[in-house]
Amino acid sequence: MSTAAKRRLIRDFKRLASDPPIGISGSPNPDNIMIWNAVIFGPPDTPFEDGSFRLTLTFTDAYPNKPPTVRFVSKMFHPNIYNNGELCLDILQNRWSPTYDVAAVLTSVQSLLNDPNPSR
Amino acid sequence: MDMSNHPLLALATDEPPPFPASYPQLQRLDRSIVCPICKEPFSAPVSIACGHSFCSHCIRGSMEVTKKCPVCHESVSEGSIRRNRALEEITDAWDEARPSLIKLSQPPAGPSRKRPPPQPISNDSSLNSLPHLKRRRDSGSRSQSPTKLSTNNHNEAVEFFGSSEEEETSPRENDTEELTEHDEGTCPICSAKMPIVSIPMHIERGCPPIKAAKKVNGSGNQKADWKKVFAGAGKGREKDVEMKRIVKPNYHLSSEKDLRNILSEHGLVTTGDKETLSARVQQWIILFNANLDTSHPKSLSALRAQLTEAEASRKRDKERGKEELGKELETKEGMAKYAKERRGEFERLRKEIMERDKRRAGAAVDTPIEVD
Repeated sequence: MSTAAKRRLIRDFKRLASDPPIGISGSPNPDNIMIWNAVIFGPPDTPFEDGSFRLTLTFTDAYPNKPPTVRFVSKMFHPNIYNNGELCLDILQNRWSPTYDVAAVLTSVQSLLNDPNPSR
Repeated sequence: MDMSNHPLLALATDEPPPFPASYPQLQRLDRSIVCPICKEPFSAPVSIACGHSFCSHCIRGSMEVTKKCPVCHESVSEGSIRRNRALEEITDAWDEARPSLIKLSQPPAGPSRKRPPPQPISNDSSLNSLPHLKRRRDSGSRSQSPTKLSTNNHNEAVEFFGSSEEEETSPRENDTEELTEHDEGTCPICSAKMPIVSIPMHIERGCPPIKAAKKVNGSGNQKADWKKVFAGAGKGREKDVEMKRIVKPNYHLSSEKDLRNILSEHGLVTTGDKETLSARVQQWIILFNANLDTSHPKSLSALRAQLTEAEASRKRDKERGKEELGKELETKEGMAKYAKERRGEFERLRKEIMERDKRRAGAAVDTPIEVD
């Protein structure tokens, strides 16, 4: 545990464990902190309400300067989520900022279920 | 919660204890000295053109990827990075004051129940005492002896407690006593003792040290100050040349030989292919240049060790096939296999949210339908 990325991921995990956003949980694999598993509950008043969705997050050593790769494990029917589970979300691509942490990423993914963006 | 015994959480124990929720002001203060990138207290803080501040190492690393402010997305150049000395002083001072404030913020235990609960009053008093702390620390660091500093710390904590107790027990008595102009008072800024009449003029002049104190403290400081001036003209110059920022090479244009030259110049390993070499040079320049933005820099050998350790850790991960697992997730089959293997893990996460929601709502919540 020595690189900046790993240090930061431990911090992210601590924050997520101590102050989790509603309907979101996640944790790194005990044997590999660069790959996380997460579960998101569908936001209320959407077709996804009452559903629980599984995701993986894959980090590189360049985190937080580069975003993680987020993939849905659950099969999703959503205009911004591709067949292979990868998603099209601006903050995970060109609008990424190193100030985001895992809690912020998962919250954004949850709100993507809330307002799909078909034009992208 | 289940998560509390996750093996990786145990690694995060170096974090200091948080302030209780009854002190939102202190929590806010605590948050305000945290770098938005690494989420740790600033180390070698710098500011950029838009006014946002980061650790030097963090923002330099971020600018290798994109030349935008991580907070406001405004375009910035590396040339606009400026060392923020005030912020460094604040971070250091806060770091030092924090343990005593944590103690003060804990609810009083046992027999001293007669005292009012440490709500606004004691809270204000602890905040008022902050300038004292900082001032004393300043005088300590000016004398430039680390041993003195640490003994000062010790006294500080003791005095700190004493003074806050005094304020709590006898504020009324002081109020009722009639004070005359010639009684001794304490300057609210530098807390020096002097006749009350002369305090306004003393503040007007920017709190010069009073004569009595000067004999003991002042002359010593003056000597140190003069030393600094002369050192700056003589020895310091030479050192500056050696500790000059490294100018970044153009990684596309420079050959392996150029990169090796830079590395050997700084006493680093020169093995590996071009990609490894330029990554190493890049990391070294970030580490080296960031190290110049602090008043307590690390030694070059410590920096070298840090670079080697990070590289070794990456290599270990590669050898253990950790990267391959990430690649595996890119294919559909790999993902299906992974999902099957970690089924229990996802189930645990799902249950965790449900338990949490139950606690939040206080009532039974519908069981969400699991989607495969």
